[in-house]
Amino acid sequence: MKNIIIGQYIPGLSFLYKMDPRSKLIALMLLMVSTFILQNVFHILVMLSLVLIMLKIGGIEIGRIARGLRPIMILLIFTFTFQILFVKTGSLLYELQLDFSVYNILIAVGLFIVFLFTRKFMRFRLLYFLVIAAAIMTLFSLYSPGLYLGTRNIQIHTDGVSGAFFIMIRLIIIVTLSTVLTLTTKPTDLTLGLEQLLKPLSIIRISSEEIALIISISLRYIPTLLDEANKIMLAQASRGVDFNEGKLKDKVMQIISLLVPMFIISFKRSDELANAMEARNFVPGERRTRLHVLLWSRIDTIVIIVSALFVAGSIWVVVVW
Amino acid sequence: MNIIEIKDLSFSYLEDKPVLSNVNLEIKKGEWVSILGHNGSGKSTLSKLIIGLLKADKGEIVVDGLTLDEETVYEVRRKIGIVFQNPDNQFVGVTVEDDIAFGMENLCFEREEMIKRIDEYATKVNMQDYLKKEPHNLSGGQKQRVAIAGILAMNTDIIIFDEATSMLDPKGRDKIMEYIKEINNEGVTVITITHDMKEAVHSDKILILKEGEVLAFGKTNDILNDKDTLNSSNLELLLPLKLLYKIEEANINNQEIKDILWQLSLNE
Amino acid sequence: MAIKFERVNFEYISADGSSFKALKDINLEISDKGEFITLIGETGSGKSTLVQHMNALVKPSSGEVTVYGIKIYNDIKKKDRNVKLNPLRQKVGLVFQFPEYQLFEETVLKDIIFGPKNFGVKEAEAIERAKEIIKLVGLDESYLKRSPFNLSGGEKKRVSIAGILAMEPDILVLDEPTSGLDPKGRDALLELFTSIHNELDKTVIIITHDMNTVYKYASRVLVMSEGELVFDGDPLKLFTKKNLIDWNLDLPEIIQITRQLEDKLNIKINKLPRNVDELFNIVKGVL
Repeated sequence: MKNIIIGQYIPGLSFLYKMDPRSKLIALMLLMVSTFILQNVFHILVMLSLVLIMLKIGGIEIGRIARGLRPIMILLIFTFTFQILFVKTGSLLYELQLDFSVYNILIAVGLFIVFLFTRKFMRFRLLYFLVIAAAIMTLFSLYSPGLYLGTRNIQIHTDGVSGAFFIMIRLIIIVTLSTVLTLTTKPTDLTLGLEQLLKPLSIIRISSEEIALIISISLRYIPTLLDEANKIMLAQASRGVDFNEGKLKDKVMQIISLLVPMFIISFKRSDELANAMEARNFVPGERRTRLHVLLWSRIDTIVIIVSALFVAGSIWVVVVW
Repeated sequence: MNIIEIKDLSFSYLEDKPVLSNVNLEIKKGEWVSILGHNGSGKSTLSKLIIGLLKADKGEIVVDGLTLDEETVYEVRRKIGIVFQNPDNQFVGVTVEDDIAFGMENLCFEREEMIKRIDEYATKVNMQDYLKKEPHNLSGGQKQRVAIAGILAMNTDIIIFDEATSMLDPKGRDKIMEYIKEINNEGVTVITITHDMKEAVHSDKILILKEGEVLAFGKTNDILNDKDTLNSSNLELLLPLKLLYKIEEANINNQEIKDILWQLSLNE
Repeated sequence: MAIKFERVNFEYISADGSSFKALKDINLEISDKGEFITLIGETGSGKSTLVQHMNALVKPSSGEVTVYGIKIYNDIKKKDRNVKLNPLRQKVGLVFQFPEYQLFEETVLKDIIFGPKNFGVKEAEAIERAKEIIKLVGLDESYLKRSPFNLSGGEKKRVSIAGILAMEPDILVLDEPTSGLDPKGRDALLELFTSIHNELDKTVIIITHDMNTVYKYASRVLVMSEGELVFDGDPLKLFTKKNLIDWNLDLPEIIQITRQLEDKLNIKINKLPRNVDELFNIVKGVL
């Protein structure tokens, strides 16, 4: 509880670490644009392999990226299944006839319930889910005793398969690129980079410096707030608030007993913090110098040029082919 | 020369409940003055008035020849640094070096100068090995030391310690007191705000506040000798001082023990 | 015994993977028959973690804590799905350092009855309790209608203590209850704990940094140092021990001054005084 790591930054030495956060942000934008320009599964595969080569050169473990992908796993599986099942263009690849009857539906429901109760004991829950799903499918196609209810055909077409892979790879590339950014850039540098890039917004009276200050103060206080939330939870638990064993109808009160102290403490804190900042000569909107400056180097120029060329290449590939 | 002059200062949050009334105070350059009072005596309000975070209802504050008003407030703040009570609620930077730099950034210091001073003042408060550390990895005492470094780096003439030690454990408290002594010895005017007479005896002068009014102001020795005032102040007397008063009351005339107890009171 | 620690270890695993031992092999017994215990030690020595074991807020990494007959160990929830730890928190009331962590209701009354109601006390009875307890903690009944957020620091502290007392715990544990208060507020609160201890015959455990409190009030003192329980016994014995400095502890003021007087006047004082009056009599006798 004492050591909360803000963001995902992991120190390293490769060229990705030497880059200016501004160039990383611009390159990220450009490459994301590319993923949307490319429309063909083979082209995007080429891009994926280039991204993997970049990871290799940048000395980033694939495992770390995989961890970044975990939260969107459900989304990936969903889009993949959706594409495969519902795209009906291209030639027919495979057809599976599912017959539904009272018994096999009951067995399927039973299997699903077993899954719900046993999944917490499994190490690879996703794999377990896929096995159960496959078992249910097989059940419907092969075994249908009892009262017959109807038949559905599952058809898989070539366009569905390529489309599914295409979308999945596109998502993987986008997540990988953003993960690379957060893995190799300190939150403070990222904020500074954003601040510089958003400077043009001053035309419409949005101060990028203030936005950056807000972000950096938030970053600074996240661990403090988490620590405090934990203590408040313990304090309320000491008064019989049962965050684990409690009934549903008590939940509202439990949450209020947690949120009200959090808010009150935060208001007091922001008041004191504002005083402390003013006392140290902070005047909103006034010019300030900065301890941290961003240094643009040759690597940055090279990366930007390469990324821009990549976008141009993507456009060329799409238009000409 | 007086670096701070306060004349007839009054302040209240609600109209019928004055927090401070008719406070007068003069502080000379290089002095160390303690403002001593119980909780709710208005002592922290006084520090916020001096630095212009609150506006007085009545009276005048002059800092280094500048009369505090809406126009001079920014200039006055450049002359005064303040260390607040809660270590967590004044740490602005994401890391120690960022926090030390914050005030200098606002004063538009050159980057090279900032780096030089961060190094210099972090070393002064013995935090040079923690420059890249984040605040949640520091103890309360360490955070207060960072706050001191950040203020020293701005080169202010006056530093106010507004109950800066009250949330620390005894070890952290002693360390901060040592730095305060050192800073004052180097010529910085120091104001410490506290309810602890043990801390106050180190200063040159003591101002006792009671319910928003000045009960006494004078040299530390004189204040400690003023038994009646101290008894009416609601403050906790130092133990050797209590004993000394008892001995005086019992008319025991032993100069040796009186001298010893007096020395112990002054923590010498 | 109401609370019993047997070979209790507690270890944090922090985000960077390193582990930190907050408690090391703690053995300890506490009865609920009117003990007045102070728990001292440096910041980070494990004091708060220790008391959080006493009402099962945290579970030991190894070893076991027995609280009112219920054995609490690391994987208790796996071994015994029906075990309810919540009722233990009614028996052992824990007041946190900052009242701001606990106050949240619109009125002081609602805040005080929140705890008892969570433990199944009927609202009417809880209100009766609140009316008595608010007086016990030194505030009058008019406070019950006020908002807990418009009170002074000392008053908030009293309300937060009332909120725990209303649960009628047998053991009252307070984490640094007097920090941030001025001497007057501190003494008033300590007198309150003494009267709770004397009149209601409850065991009171106080975490503190103030040696004067230990010397003046406690019948037993526990010293933590780097996660270990290094002393458990009589305060007077503690303060005559040589290794106080190793544990970064000071002497109480009265003993400090006595020692300094012995030194300066070249005398030997056999029985250490408990307060200024006793010291005065000793000094008078010597002169």
